[in-house]
Amino acid sequence: MSEKISRRDFLKLTAMGAATTAVMTGCGPMSRYVVRRPYTQMPEYNQTGESTYYASTCRECPAGCGIIVRTREGRALTIEGNPNHPVNRGRLCARGLTAQQGLYNPDRIRAPRFQGRSNPATPGRDLTWDEAVQVVATALQKPPQRIAFLLGLAPDHLYDLVSELTQALGAPPPLRYNALAALEGRTTLIEAVRRLFGSPALPYFDLAQAEVTLAFGADFLQSWLSPVTYTRAYGAMRQGNPRRRGELIVFEPRQSLTAGNADRWVPIVPGSEAHVVLALGQRVAELRGLPVPEAFRAVRPEEAAQVSGLPLEQLETLAQTFATATRPLALVGGSALTQPNGLVTAQAVLALNALVGNLGQPGGVFLSAAAATPTPLAEVKALVERMQAGEVDVLFIHGVNPLFEVPAALGFEAALARVPLVINFAAFPDETALKSDYLFPDHSPLESFGYQRSLAGSDRPAWSALQPVVVPLYDTRATVDVLLAAAQASGQALLPYRDEVDFIQQKILPLINAGGFYTAPEILTFWSRWLQHGGWWTPAAGLPTPTLERLPASFGTLTPPTPPAEGAFYLLTYANHLGDGSGANRPWLQELPDAMTTVTWNSWVEIHPRTAEELGLKDDDVVRITTPYGSVEASVYRYPAIRPDTLAIPFGQGHTALGRWAEGRGCNPAQVLPAGHNAAGDLAFIGTTATLTPTGRRRPLARVESKEGVYGEH
Amino acid sequence: MAVEAKPLETAVPLPHAEEDPREHLMFDPRPREVMNRMVMEAMTTTSRRYWAWVIGLALVVLVCLLGAWGNMILTGMGLAGIRRPVFWGLFIVTFVFWIGISHAGTFVSAILRVFKAEFRRPFTRAAELMTTFALAAGALYPLIHLGRVWVFYWLIPYPNARWLWPNFRSPLVWDFLAITTYLLSSTIYLYLPLVPDLAMARDRTTGWRHALYRLLALGWRGTEAEWHRLRRAITIFAFAIIPVMFSVHTIVSWDFAVGVVAGWHSTIFGPYFIIGAILSGVAAVVSILFVLRSTMLHMDYFIRKEHFDALGKLLLVFSMAWAYFFFNDYLLTWYGGEEAARRILTLHATGPAAWVWYLMLICNVVIPWLTLWNRTIRRTPWAMFIITLLINVGMYAERYTIIPLTLGHQRMPFDWGVYTPRPTEISIVIGTFALFLLLYLLASRLIPLVPVWEVQEGQMAHTLRKVGKAEVPSVTELE
Amino acid sequence: MAEERPAKWGLVVDLDRCTGCNACIVACALENNVPFVGEDEVAYGRALYWIRTQRYWEGEYPEVTPTFQPVMCQQCGNAPCEPVCPVYASVHSEEEQINLAVYNRCVGTRYCANNCPYFARVFNWFDYELPEPMRSYLNPDVTVRRRGVMEKCTFCVQRIVRGRQKARAEGRELRDGEVQPACVQACPAEALVFGDLSDPESRVSQLARSQRRYHLLEALGTLPRVTYLKGVGNHGG
Ligand code: SF4
Ligand code: SF4
Ligand code: SF4
Repeated sequence: MSEKISRRDFLKLTAMGAATTAVMTGCGPMSRYVVRRPYTQMPEYNQTGESTYYASTCRECPAGCGIIVRTREGRALTIEGNPNHPVNRGRLCARGLTAQQGLYNPDRIRAPRFQGRSNPATPGRDLTWDEAVQVVATALQKPPQRIAFLLGLAPDHLYDLVSELTQALGAPPPLRYNALAALEGRTTLIEAVRRLFGSPALPYFDLAQAEVTLAFGADFLQSWLSPVTYTRAYGAMRQGNPRRRGELIVFEPRQSLTAGNADRWVPIVPGSEAHVVLALGQRVAELRGLPVPEAFRAVRPEEAAQVSGLPLEQLETLAQTFATATRPLALVGGSALTQPNGLVTAQAVLALNALVGNLGQPGGVFLSAAAATPTPLAEVKALVERMQAGEVDVLFIHGVNPLFEVPAALGFEAALARVPLVINFAAFPDETALKSDYLFPDHSPLESFGYQRSLAGSDRPAWSALQPVVVPLYDTRATVDVLLAAAQASGQALLPYRDEVDFIQQKILPLINAGGFYTAPEILTFWSRWLQHGGWWTPAAGLPTPTLERLPASFGTLTPPTPPAEGAFYLLTYANHLGDGSGANRPWLQELPDAMTTVTWNSWVEIHPRTAEELGLKDDDVVRITTPYGSVEASVYRYPAIRPDTLAIPFGQGHTALGRWAEGRGCNPAQVLPAGHNAAGDLAFIGTTATLTPTGRRRPLARVESKEGVYGEH
Repeated sequence: MAVEAKPLETAVPLPHAEEDPREHLMFDPRPREVMNRMVMEAMTTTSRRYWAWVIGLALVVLVCLLGAWGNMILTGMGLAGIRRPVFWGLFIVTFVFWIGISHAGTFVSAILRVFKAEFRRPFTRAAELMTTFALAAGALYPLIHLGRVWVFYWLIPYPNARWLWPNFRSPLVWDFLAITTYLLSSTIYLYLPLVPDLAMARDRTTGWRHALYRLLALGWRGTEAEWHRLRRAITIFAFAIIPVMFSVHTIVSWDFAVGVVAGWHSTIFGPYFIIGAILSGVAAVVSILFVLRSTMLHMDYFIRKEHFDALGKLLLVFSMAWAYFFFNDYLLTWYGGEEAARRILTLHATGPAAWVWYLMLICNVVIPWLTLWNRTIRRTPWAMFIITLLINVGMYAERYTIIPLTLGHQRMPFDWGVYTPRPTEISIVIGTFALFLLLYLLASRLIPLVPVWEVQEGQMAHTLRKVGKAEVPSVTELE
Repeated sequence: MAEERPAKWGLVVDLDRCTGCNACIVACALENNVPFVGEDEVAYGRALYWIRTQRYWEGEYPEVTPTFQPVMCQQCGNAPCEPVCPVYASVHSEEEQINLAVYNRCVGTRYCANNCPYFARVFNWFDYELPEPMRSYLNPDVTVRRRGVMEKCTFCVQRIVRGRQKARAEGRELRDGEVQPACVQACPAEALVFGDLSDPESRVSQLARSQRRYHLLEALGTLPRVTYLKGVGNHGG
């Protein structure tokens, strides 16, 4: 490993840095420069009994919140928000707050390993990193077209490096898949922005200053884009606006946390969102005295009312509320996008915002400066087909657990078995890791360098920095380093970087002159400030304003939802605090009551109490939910805030691997999701119908609420 | 003053003069020596069944009480079924139950003594023993239910280097003081009248028993001066222990009543608990008397139908008094209309555990009222045994209603919770019942269960006089 | 050095901002070494949340809406949990004007828990062992409680003390907002505001005078230091 600069140099550099606050320090136990020593030989940046704080970035979800980790005696204690970070301003969500339970999780993979995947009789064995690098180097020499990389949404620096690597190799670009992004329809949103505003980007909604907000499916308080940003904005929208308390109206078939906090929840028929938005758009245009754009004429209001189950009068009231508001705003995401009509809905909602003229206005829509790189399901499907066809010789997996997160109907598992060499950089023995040939564990995020540059919640151009806050606990190695070393070992001069830090420094070099709130004469000083502040961003807020040249004549074809057959129900799944399921091995996330149901440590299926009564189902009865793609079992939760024709199962449980706290709890809805996708290529599962069969068994859910006290039942 | 027999002017006719007055112990005198021998025989005869019981109970105490408790100390209170928000469960229920039972002895022996109720004479001892042993069993619970019993001594006011005293504002400290006072005074009160009987036993035994009784009899010789002092002491204690008894259960009730817990915060809890305690205590005396009478030699001479009859009447009165307090507690709280308290009372009567509440009412009110007015039933020992057992079941249900069933439904419905007793605590409760019975069984063969001198004293004051052809019972006032 | 004014710490919970996201629960648990207990124990009401969000439902479908109310120890000025503790393990602190749980003095009678009308107190039913190396993240500023001991929200008193010491060392008074309990610091909706109620200018004092204010179970006279601000509109709270 490189001895590029010593820790002592770092100290000097930090001293040179302007304001070294007591809170954040620019130097830390950066893995490559610090050797592991007993506590009795404390490094000088650590004093016994004194806390040291390091700024870094949360990697528990793709939002990229800034964190400050309190450490003492070389241990990471608590995770706090970085008060200056543009994404979260010092606030965090439950997932981010439990990151140390990932770092210190007893089930981590502790060393590189070979597993006898093809032949279970072959015993696995631990490897040295030199052997591991050799394995990767050999794999990289395979025909480039037969190499595939499947990455998660974090970290961005690894994605950037792999992109360069695949380019240099001539291999297909890496895919990035994440269940959260799939469930919120991120690609659809980006594609809609591309179609309307010209270039692919994520929109940024200025919720804080909006006065009337319509949200179509976007559960922005719990999982959408950047939950902490939008929860902060929600608080400000409610009580931070001196003029009036913002109003929120949410259209969702099942009340999410966001809908639960709304002033009005409109339980819309799943799949009819586009109809409603179009109908609303017509009336809003009329009410505002504007010509009704052609694309909005695709449905008649009566038709929309009929399809969505909303009375015409209600549509009219909603249109009036929105059209007459001072600062109207419409959001879209989640269940409104992950459906066949998703792309239409997304475009229609963006266009609705354009109609009321809030593009680039306070309380309106902006374009996020963030890079937009998630891969839609359609491309994952293409990869699966290549794997099936035996066109992939080596598959590299990092930061994603496809056997858990990807709908099982896609056939990933069978395809994986056909890939001769699967190299997984997972930190945990998750489902996919168990089915891989090699496990080359990456550091945990709290032991890693890196950056996130797709910050959907940032109101300004920003990069968020990661740095190790503790010395790596185990014999793990940064994947970037492994790839760089392998690239070097393969003999070709593929990449001009010495190691991970060198790579990151070169990547952030352009930021020195990009007008951030700090700068430095050269990279080393810049680097220490970058670490000290936990990233780089501009001093003033400011995002590009979307410009709408011309609305297309049509947003695409509309398919009205087909009502479920007799005895069948719409089925949907959503992310709660367990996110994409990678958090299921954090015991405190398991112990945390689900916000809406207060259930802990398990999955459940939400059924409207009236429906349950008709079916003779009681709380905690185990039922089997069957779709054409598979079936799962879950305990009944009689949920008063869901359409009577809809069932919902939370995402994230149902692991068969991933350690002691995750395994064998609840069910994984990915088992019953379709593999279909919408026009943007995103997973389209809204509209799937399922049947429900009681199993006759009961499995009581561990709820925190008293059923007797809350529902008055004994 | 010695016993002075003062003949009454007119003879008092017995209530049921048509029956033979000799059915009454007081009018069926036997020579002192005969009675002494009977008591000694009863004390020294043990059957195989007796030993089987002793060994069985000892095993239960060992396994169910000590074993389960030890395991709970090492593992944690979680082995019991208590939970948030029901932080007190069977342990406290049983604690209150035993403290209630302990009122038997004091009530029977002190109050009836002070009021000169003659029928008390043969069973004061049996009742006092119950007090002591019930207290012993009950006093374990404050320890058992401590989360960290190994530092129990922090509850005791003892001088220590850090000047850390217990919090005298806490009813638990009052409890501690009241119970220790009661345990001490009731033991002394048990011991005092025992001295002449121990001396009697000393004079009729050999071997280890003799040595034991010699030690315990404190050199009693039965001189006039000794009798004089003994009677003074007993009188003083009889008066002194009554307020202690009242205070103990009042303080136990204050554990609940001083709290803000809805359904507990009631000014009537003190007397309500005392009446309940006396009801359950007297009922327990009847149950024990039945057992003694049917298992020990000669006990049918000392314990007769008249005693069941008299205690039955008392029970009826106390059952009525209990019902009166219960009614007061419930009706007035319910009328007061504080939402939380009202909800709890409604839940008691209509909730999923309402059967406990109805069990309480049936056993404490319905059954006594339906049966105890009937003289024949009152004079049928086995019927009385069943009725009194049921009364104690009812009193247990009362405590269960007051404690876990009230705690589970307080002011924040989101946090309600239902308590289910778990094996460990049930086992410990069974263990203390076994402990009580074991102590009683052992004591029944170690000390004279009938205070012979008291019986004889009574018999001397009761005579049958011939008035013409009829025999008229006459009673002499004792001072 | 500045003369220290005794503070009267207080918390305001703005229910109109609170979304019920429960981040506060986790933030609290990891700051205060609160153990997790597992599914069966949670199901039996033995979770050790120091703060929990009470979620009720209002209305009927489709007008049904949840109401969220985070409830932690209210730090009663007149705390029912204090007089009943026989060993002074539940005491009032002069300096912070809050109610302290003295873990190493507690004998575990659980009387205080019965007498707390807010159910704010939780009990260590067992020893909750953390597997290695999880113990590494335990906060050294907070005692790890063993079995048989009551515990509850302390307004993160360790942070108050740390803040006060720092201010003292720098010879100044504590600034408003300088000390934040973990829940306040994490709350993404900024629904929680913490500060000194004895300073009429502090943010918490200003908010506590809001017309939307109320106290939980006010009629009991416990004088809570936590003030709730009602939700507005048909969004309950
Ligand atoms: S929103 Fe995402 S990035 Fe932010 S704290 Fe939560 S998990 Fe971490
Ligand atoms: S963290 Fe804030 S918004 Fe979330 S539940 Fe707690 S108080 Fe409410
Ligand atoms: S809320 Fe409960 S625990 Fe907290 S001070 Fe008040 S009574 Fe005590």
